[in-house]
This record gives sequence, C-alpha cells and structure tokens, in this order.
Amino acid sequence: MTPEMTIELNRRAFLGSSLLAGAAIITPDQAFAGSAPAGWTLGVADIDADIPQAAMTLIDGRVPAGFAGTLYRNGPAKFRRSGGQAGHWFDGDGMVRKFDIRGGGATLAARFVDTPKRRLETKLDAIVQPGFGTPSGPGSTLSGPDDTNSANTSMLHIGGELMALWEGGSPTLLDPQTLATKGFKTFRPDLKQMPFLAHPRVEADGTVWNLGGGGNAAIIWKLSSTGALAKAETLKLPRRSYFHDFTATARHLIIVLQPWLQEEFKFPLSTGMAWRPELGTQVMVIEKDDLSKRRIFELPAFAFFHLGDGWEESDGTIRFDGCFEADPTFGQRAASALLRGEHIRAPSPILTQVALYPNGKAQMQSAGIAAEFPANDKRVAGLPRRYTAHVGHYRSTPFPHAVGLWDWQKGRDDAYDFGDNHLVEEFVFAPRGGGERDGWLIGTTLNLTEKRTELHMIDARNVRSGPVASFAAGMPLPLTFHGIFVGA
Amino acid sequence: MNRLSQIISAIAINLPALAAASANQPAALEIAFTGIETPTGNIMMAVFDSEMAYNGKGAPVRASMVAANSAEVKTTLEGLPAGKYAIKLFHDVDGDGKMRTNPFGIPIEPFAFSNNAVGTMGEASWTDASFEVNVGATSHRIVIQ
Repeated sequence: MTPEMTIELNRRAFLGSSLLAGAAIITPDQAFAGSAPAGWTLGVADIDADIPQAAMTLIDGRVPAGFAGTLYRNGPAKFRRSGGQAGHWFDGDGMVRKFDIRGGGATLAARFVDTPKRRLETKLDAIVQPGFGTPSGPGSTLSGPDDTNSANTSMLHIGGELMALWEGGSPTLLDPQTLATKGFKTFRPDLKQMPFLAHPRVEADGTVWNLGGGGNAAIIWKLSSTGALAKAETLKLPRRSYFHDFTATARHLIIVLQPWLQEEFKFPLSTGMAWRPELGTQVMVIEKDDLSKRRIFELPAFAFFHLGDGWEESDGTIRFDGCFEADPTFGQRAASALLRGEHIRAPSPILTQVALYPNGKAQMQSAGIAAEFPANDKRVAGLPRRYTAHVGHYRSTPFPHAVGLWDWQKGRDDAYDFGDNHLVEEFVFAPRGGGERDGWLIGTTLNLTEKRTELHMIDARNVRSGPVASFAAGMPLPLTFHGIFVGA
Repeated sequence: MNRLSQIISAIAINLPALAAASANQPAALEIAFTGIETPTGNIMMAVFDSEMAYNGKGAPVRASMVAANSAEVKTTLEGLPAGKYAIKLFHDVDGDGKMRTNPFGIPIEPFAFSNNAVGTMGEASWTDASFEVNVGATSHRIVIQ
C-alpha cells in the first residue's frame, strides 16, 4: 500500500483553513430524494445536503409586533451511508438549523457542521468513526476525540461567536449568519481536544460555566460574558459516572453522579458503561469561588440526561430539578433501536426536584409527570424560581407530543398537546417583561401528517391555549436535541 | 531427484545466506515529511528495527531531530542495514523537546507513523507502520497532520 492509498490522519482538516470551504448547497428536492420513511421514524431520517435559507409559511396566528430573534437548533441528521449506519441516535452528524423570526415572518436555513468525522465518512461513504453507540469501522482514524466529534448536540452564542457543541471534545465555531464551519474552538493551546459539555450554564450576566468529563476527572470551564477563558481547572471525581449535563446555583456547581459508570474505556462508549443502582446517586456540590470546597450528598439511584438550573435558599438549602429515569435503558438500548425503526419501551423520564439540605441530607420530590428537556427563564439562572418548561405527553411513539410549564409552587402543569401527529422538540424560553413567566416558549415540532418541520411560539403565561404563531417549513427535518434563542 | 528440483533446492538453501549478506550492505533511507502546518520547532523521530523495540521493549536504532522550517522537509539516514523498519514521530511545534498533551493526556502536537499508519486512540501497530529498507536508496514520505 502506498502512503497515498492509506487513509490519512486527518488532523489538518480541523486545524486548517480547509474547513472554511463551504458544503455544497443544493435544492431541497435533491436533498430529500429517497429519505422519507413513514411514521415517527421521520424523526430519525437522513438529510443528504444543506438546506438553503427559505421563507417559512405562516400557518396560524401572528408574531407579536416588534418580536425578533434567531432560534438556533442542533441535532443529528445523517446516520446512514452505503458502508453501514450509526449505532446510536447520539452519533449522527450535527446539522444546525437557523430559524430567523423578524417583521412578522420567519425563515429557515440548515447546514451540516463540517467536521473531520463527516469529511472522512463522506469520502469513504461509510460510517466508520466510533461514538456513544457506534463501533469503529474500516478506515477509522482517531488521534483524539475531535476526530469523532459530531458537533450535534447544542449551541452556544457568546462574545459574538456561535458554536456547535458536542460533549466529548471541542466546540465547533460557525458563522452566525451563514452557518459555515470555521473549525474547532480552542480556548487555550494546551486545552485542545478537551471535553466541553453541550449544557453550559449561562448566568444572567452572560458568564458561562461548563464541565467536561474524563473518567474520574472533570474539567471546569469558566468563560466571561465576552467569551474569554476565565478559568480551566481539572478536579478528581469520586466515581467514573457518565454525565451529559450538570447544574449550578449563583454560588455553586452541582455535578450529579448517577451510578451509570464508565467501567471501561472502549468503543462504542456505551458498551463500557455499567448500571450499578446499588451504589445510589451522588451529588457533588462545589463552590464556584473556591473549587476545593466540595460536599457530597447521597440519593437513591436514578439515571438522567438533563437538569434545570439550580438555586440556593436563605437557609442554605440548594434545589434543582431534572428529568430522572429508573434506569438508563433509553441511553443504553432504546436510542440505538430508534435508528432501526424499533421502539423499545424505556422507563419514562419523570420531572423531579432535588433538595440538598445544610445538614447533609438530600431529598427528591417528584412532579409526577413524564417530562424531558427542562428549560427555564435564564434571567433567573442560579436564583430561586417557580416554573420549569418541558416537553411531555409520551404516548405511542418514542417521542413527546406536548410542551408544558410546570409550576413547582402549585404542583400543576400548564400544557399544550400538539396531537399524535406531531413529535415535539425542545422549547426554550425567550423573555419579555419582568416576571418569571413573562416570555415566549419557542420551539419546533415535526408534523408527521404534513411531513414538515414547524416552528411555534407560545405565551408562557398561557401554554394551554397553544401557539400564538406557527410557521411551516417546506420539508421535514429530523428531530433536534437542543438549541438557543438569540434575541435581536 | 531430477535436475530441475536440484536447482530449485539449491536456490532455496542459498536464500538465507543471500539475505544475510545483503543485511550487511549499507542502505540509505531518505524520508520526506510533508504537510507541516506550523513551520516552527522540529520533527522528532525514532526509527525501530524490531516489533519488540517498537512496542517499547527496546531502543530505537536511530533517533533524530529535523528542523521543521517549511511545509516539507527531508532527512537522509545513511548506513542503515537493509531490513524492516518502522518510524514514530511527532512535530515538536514549540521546540520544548516534549510531545505536549492536554490535561486528559490527549496529544496536542501533530504525530505520525511510517506508512502514514494510524492507530485508534493510540499508536499505529508495527504491522501497519513497518516497511522494507533495501540495499541502495529507499525513500519514504510521511504526512504530518
């Protein structure tokens, strides 16, 4: 074999300017040729090319006067190639969707993040880079985590920069207007290839805290509101827990260590993870101002992916909420089966509030509703709050059908159900006015009947009345994971 | 035994002797390093002549440093016995003599192996990285990425 024939280590691709070359843009009818399976599997279908910006059609209501901003959403949109398919919903190539709302109208553009993984797999026409539930294939190259970074999980907008986030490696910089990929973000040269979770906690003043996991160690990131690196410290953890998210109060970082442990480092990553419910769940509380000040709380075992912002009360009690599952069947097996069109029943995620008391005791209080993608008003991030937005109403498909706003004080939900033919994606909070519910829940659904993605805007004070404005795209896009709203 | 088979067996018997003789002949290995992105520091290279040494249970037969002052640089190793070799290298961009890693131990300076062989979260194998150096001149190209 000559060197030229060998699949090359492709590190230059993400370090160099070659990433600036844009992906080809072709028309939507070309993009969807042969990729429209029936039913809920439309939510995990493949997209073959970028979607040029086009106007969406207003199908109901109207946008409140003066409202403007951009909803960026990220999610996997390419799972299958001639040489095999991804082994897990979490491993598809990230496609960033940009919904611009202004002047009463809305537009949609979507573009794949041009990662080294996607470039290599496009060249080979095969899925070869390993991931959460995908093994390595022939021709795989892996000199570091960013070689298999799918940039598919969420977004961060800071200091004028837009980043597509994964969790095992670097953020990827995108042009906020064109969504063109500019390369990996390196906060400091010695921190290349360090993990950066897709769930940074953004304080009301724009300060960002984030975490990255590496076995029994974590890196804690702090960025100033301008995006400058303010802190990067590693610390030891008491166990090798898998975490996709963490939370924070105004004064603390809170790392929830579920007993889903990374017992071995091997690919697919999920095959090296084991569920050890007998160990319970640990919660590590760290003071932001002095990372050496740490406390551990013990709770019964639960599995989780997502948490809401936390807060501290005057007596020192810390509270946060999350969507907790009895075991990690969804992440271990059900999310893989989705790509094969199979629906494996997994324990429902239940909206639950955790209280950590100054005396070292910890308690959980269930809201009693199945819910995911907890979201809240970021103006009160880290401060006491009453409401948690979420998706819910799981029925016959693996995906939710409703959006709701849970009231922790009154113990009731204000929800809107889009019906069986809509798969509901995450809704995020866009503020207006001064009260905690003064704002809009903005999110998307996949309409299975009309085979199109829809954008909805709901008054957070009156969720049950449904959208005040809804727009339809000209095509269906597979389901996204997470996004952010950037006000104009 | 007929005459043809006698000739064949004579060649077969003499092959090891021929190989031993050629191993004592000097060979020159010219190596071109291409794809250097940051023209600073040095290419730090170790050459191994056995799988055992390559896997850390022995010393390299050569270790050299080549100034990485342009996108492509070359070096020639003279006087190597002909035989099988494999090369490990990294581009010491900052010139501190060490391969830098991030706090979790992931390399953050470019590295490569002969044959442009690649590993999965580790070094390429001897099987993939080894190549023959013949009597006379052999040239080899390694892309640094």
